[in-house]
Parts: sequence; C-alpha cells; structure tokens
Amino acid sequence: MIRKSPMKQEDKQTISGADFEQYFQPQSLEKALEIKAEYEDQIEVAAGSTDLLVANYERLHEIANWLDLVKLDDLKKIEVRDNKLHIGAMTTHLQLMNSDLVKENLAVLAAAAEDVGSPQIRSRGTIGGNICTSSPAGDLLAPLLSYEASFKLQSVEGERIVKAEKFFTGPKRNLMEADELLTEIMIPLRENPREGAWIKVGRRKALVISTLTLSLVLEFEADKIVKSGLAMGSVAPTPIRLKEVEAMMVGKNLSELDYKKLGQEVKARINPIDDLRGTKEYREDVAVDLMVRALNEIERKRG
Amino acid sequence: MQIRLTVNGEKRELEVTPYTRLLDLLREDLGLTGVKEGCGKGECGACTVIMNGELTASCLVPAPQADQAEILTVEGLGTKDDLHPIQESFVEAGAVQCGYCIPGMVLAGKKLLDENPRPTEKEVRYGLSGNICRCTGYAKIIDAVMMAADKLAVEGSDSSD
Repeated sequence: MIRKSPMKQEDKQTISGADFEQYFQPQSLEKALEIKAEYEDQIEVAAGSTDLLVANYERLHEIANWLDLVKLDDLKKIEVRDNKLHIGAMTTHLQLMNSDLVKENLAVLAAAAEDVGSPQIRSRGTIGGNICTSSPAGDLLAPLLSYEASFKLQSVEGERIVKAEKFFTGPKRNLMEADELLTEIMIPLRENPREGAWIKVGRRKALVISTLTLSLVLEFEADKIVKSGLAMGSVAPTPIRLKEVEAMMVGKNLSELDYKKLGQEVKARINPIDDLRGTKEYREDVAVDLMVRALNEIERKRG
Repeated sequence: MQIRLTVNGEKRELEVTPYTRLLDLLREDLGLTGVKEGCGKGECGACTVIMNGELTASCLVPAPQADQAEILTVEGLGTKDDLHPIQESFVEAGAVQCGYCIPGMVLAGKKLLDENPRPTEKEVRYGLSGNICRCTGYAKIIDAVMMAADKLAVEGSDSSD
C-alpha cells in the first residue's frame, strides 16, 4: 500500500516556503497575546507540537494560521516566588523530571512527567500543552490537582488565575477564552513534610495513553495527616479531584486508615467509560487497588 | 519562511512551510534518508534524531520550530568505512533484521551512552523505550548497546593513557 505523503507535491507548488506568511513565532509574550487576540480560535497554538501534529496528521497543510510559542524563553523557567513554585507553560516534561526544585517539592509531578510518552516525546511536550489539550488521560493533570495548582491565563486585557480543579470542563475542553494563553502554573509550597504516590496503568510502560492514573499527596504533622490531595485521570470526562475521600484521611494517622475501604470510596466516586484501553468495570476494580497501593507506598516511604 | 539550522555539523539555510515536518526537511530537502518515517505520530521512533542534544521524534517537529537547532542524524554519526562504535556493535551483535528501526535505535543508544556510559540492561531498555522494532529483535539490540558501552569504555581508557 502506498500511503499519501503528508507533504503533497501540489501543496509545495501552490505555497512555497517564502510565501507563507501566517506562521507567527513571536519573541515576546506581548506580541503573542496580540496575535491571539486578533485571530482568537482561528489560530493553532504550537508549544511542543507533540499533540498538535498527531491531531492534524496528514492535514497539516489545512492549518491556516500558526502561533508558535517556542521562542518565548520567559515561559520556560521554574522558580520559587511568594512561597509558590512557578512553572512556565513551555517547560518540557524532561525539564520537569530533571528539575531539583520539582523533584524535592513535587515528587509526584516529577514522577508523572517521567511516565509521559517516551524520551522523544518528553523532550518536546510541555506542561502547558498537556494542560491545554485537557485530555482526561493527560498524565500531569491528576498530580496538578493533588498539589492544588492554579493556572495563569493571560490576554491583552489582563490576566486571571484559575484553580486547576475549575479549569477542566469536559474531554479536551477547558474554560479558556479564545484570546487567552496559559503562561504559568503555580503550586503552593508547604512547610510540613509531604509524601506521595503516582501510579499509571497502561498496556505498556512507554508510549501509552493511560488506562487510569492516580495521584495521592499527603501532608503530615508528626504522624497525623493534616492535608490530603487525591486525584485521578481517565476515570471521568475530566481529570478529577476526590475531595470527599481526601476529607476521610485528614486528621488521622496512616495506621488508623482502612485502605481497602478508602479504595471502595474512590470507586463509588468515579465515572469511567468503556473504551479500547479498558472497560468501565475494569477501571472501577483497578481504582480500588490503586488507592490501596498508593497508601501502601506512602506507608513504606515513611517507614 | 526561512530557517537556519545545523545538520550533522553543516550550517543550512532552508525555505520551509509550517507543514514541512523536520522529518520531511531532512529526508526530502537534504536527502538524509537514514531518518525513517514509520507511524508519523511519534510512537515508533524510526524518525528519531538528536535535536539540541535531546532525542526527538522528527515527525512531530514543524520545521519552523527547528530554527537555530543543532541536529544529528545517523549519517552524522559514522560513515560506511568508519563506523561509530555503536554502529560496529550493532553489526557484531547481529542486531539488524529488516533494519528500518536501526537508525533510531542507534541514536537512542548514543544518547543513552553519552549520559550514562555504563548502563544496566534495565536502563538500556528505558533509554530505548521510545523506539519500536517490529521484527521484535530487541534482545540483540540491547546486547549491541551493552557491547558498545564496553567498546567506548575501552576507547575512553586508551585515550586517557
């Protein structure tokens, strides 16, 4: 079988590289926001392009307008300000998993970044892209919910800060306006020690879209859990935070928790679907086990 | 639009469109056919190049994003008469079946050994996890990378004498 080449000869002839004017690669955020305001949803935003080029495979030439953020170096920084970790939206998965700041303070996010795709994908894909694609299976999204991240959305009109748990509105949908760009992810740092677990279930270890993911972060004072962040991916139309189950853990020691029962509480609050990666029933059963495994892992780490 | 990049040590200036992928640019404009297209969706690793020091699926890079980049393809690693130790090891280990995945495998092996000259087998598997061999010849490919680690270690100690 001869597959049609994505780069067709006739396209090459109608528009030569020199004539193509609708590719914008601004050097400043101000300029990027102006372009976004002008074109709104008529422009494709390119960050690492690992989702964009897959979604538009064989019809890249149909994209009329491009806004490429790759030259915005200000969006590639990871730094601490006002007791928050600020992660630029153009930070790659590779930078996240190798960052000492992220590993020390947000171990679950670093672990999730390490499980994204493959080395070839992690070197290009960005945290901002993962968030804006808003797939229920996006690997960084459950950890961001667990850590109570918030997102800075900017436009020419100004900026707003949106909590991660309010951001996702449906499969591949979020509440961003057409003139906005995600510029920064902010995660509060904590004084108390935290311990966490990240579990991704998929058919292979690499290059797999998650069948389900679980992210659990517990904050301790002595042995007492004083704060809890529990979130899952691929079990509902959006990544979800399980606040009711979080509340069942707060104020207790790990030894006072019934892991299996908490697993059942998780199962009661998720709403998975049947798809090619797993059935609803499978996901519900595995969700119970993941909660137990996550708690066991935290217990072992605190051991 | 025009981009500038360095490919296998040579500076290039090229006219590209956004729907030229780095893969197309390397294969069609520069004739570097060691870069293969397998899936075209970043899942198989046949199009792997080293871009700015990192493993990259060239099928997922719009050419304008490669502006100012430094690219290494398998052609830049060694020649037929002067193989890189990793390439030699692939030959000696009999790691090549149909061969389609091999340029990507070799580059993934190089990147791994650059960062971790004495990897365990598990680390080799992780380093090659973005590359699929549909002949399923993984065992010998992993052997080849381990063998290359030995070769490079010997070379390294020779040159330090």
